[in-house]
Amino acid sequence: MRVALVLVLIAAPLAAQNGGGAASRLAGRVPTAALPAIDSLIAAAVAESLPSEPLVQKALEGSAKGVPTDRLVNGVRRGLLQLREARVIVGRAMPDQPAPEAHVAAVSAALARGLGPAIVERLLTVAPNEPPGPVLHAAADLVAHRFNPDSAADLLVEAHNKGLHGMRLLDVAVAADHELQRAGGRTHADALARVRALLPNVPTAEVPPAVTRRRTKGS
Amino acid sequence: MMAMSPIDPRLQEALDGERDPGTLPMDLREAYARLVGAANLLQTLPAVSVAARVMAEIHDLKPEVPSVRPARRLMRWLARPRAVTLRLRPAWTLALVAGLAAILLIPTQPTNRPSPGAQEGIAQFVGHFPGARSVEVVGSFNDWSRGSLHLRDEHHDGIWHGAAVLPAGPHEYMFIVDGERWVPDPLAGRYVDDGFGAGRENSLLIVRPAQASLDEDATLR
Repeated sequence: MRVALVLVLIAAPLAAQNGGGAASRLAGRVPTAALPAIDSLIAAAVAESLPSEPLVQKALEGSAKGVPTDRLVNGVRRGLLQLREARVIVGRAMPDQPAPEAHVAAVSAALARGLGPAIVERLLTVAPNEPPGPVLHAAADLVAHRFNPDSAADLLVEAHNKGLHGMRLLDVAVAADHELQRAGGRTHADALARVRALLPNVPTAEVPPAVTRRRTKGS
Repeated sequence: MMAMSPIDPRLQEALDGERDPGTLPMDLREAYARLVGAANLLQTLPAVSVAARVMAEIHDLKPEVPSVRPARRLMRWLARPRAVTLRLRPAWTLALVAGLAAILLIPTQPTNRPSPGAQEGIAQFVGHFPGARSVEVVGSFNDWSRGSLHLRDEHHDGIWHGAAVLPAGPHEYMFIVDGERWVPDPLAGRYVDDGFGAGRENSLLIVRPAQASLDEDATLR
């Protein structure tokens, strides 16, 4: 009982702090009419230990685009629901530990890109201790290019097992797309088979050369 | 203090070779002979000073210290404290300080050219917008704020481009053309529904760390 009370006393100010930070970023940018509802959604995310940054970004984005208030609030609400769904998926894939916020945010982004929950969950279990963003985006890239989701996941799991990690998994998706485009008439299955034969030596994507550039906010 | 007695000018002239010594009076002729004799005697003696003799004996002594390897001698030489005398002219010193200050304080280039950090990468943006007056990029990396990342049409051919150092990872963004038209990046390759129910899509960019090894796991989340 005492422990619970202490946790509440610690958590409440932290939650207020997070919510307060978001409120200050939204003030003056989000329409006044939408602000209470959005504040409430963000506070709910904080209270549920969900990442709130995706919701703040969605509110800022909708406001910058001039989205009507009702659709703006709905967009943020949809984001919250997606985060909740993402946490359920992460919890299933990693039952022995609390869902890391970064994993939840990455899974939520993968869902928004159209990946199915089953594929996401499978990919999470491949390397539960690694940041899941790269493998999920690689899968989403393949699915966006109309590769079969299960076949795409198979390829990425095999690539991981052969030593490819992190950003290199994005190269697998790029290689598959290149194989698809290389010769007319090549099927998606053929392209995946050719990339599988290359593993783990898929070409590395070029990093952009240094050019005149500006550091932007947040960088 | 003893005062030196002046030499007779005639004797001086004889010593300088300007007068025939035979024309001198007897007493001066004797003095002349003594002086010339003394001079000849000095020329025949070896000109060795006391200091020179001492140094010669020191050189003749065999070194009794054990031989030390060159590396060790170098280390000793480097480690031994030495007095350094620095003579500075104030004018040159001030000029040197001003030059160093100019090099350190004045930026070498008017534009910001930061190097990406370990978890940063370079994002390049290109769009074909013929006739556009302005093109800028807004996205999650700048809180969807306008005014921080403008593209440029340097050749006035309608091809707008720019670049930015961004944190490694995914970023959603859009172009704003002429300050009012929101356009997805046609070259992005990745798109995601913006979630506001109108079927509009944001472009999606995944920034790779510029400096980290690609085999290392990046913090893309």
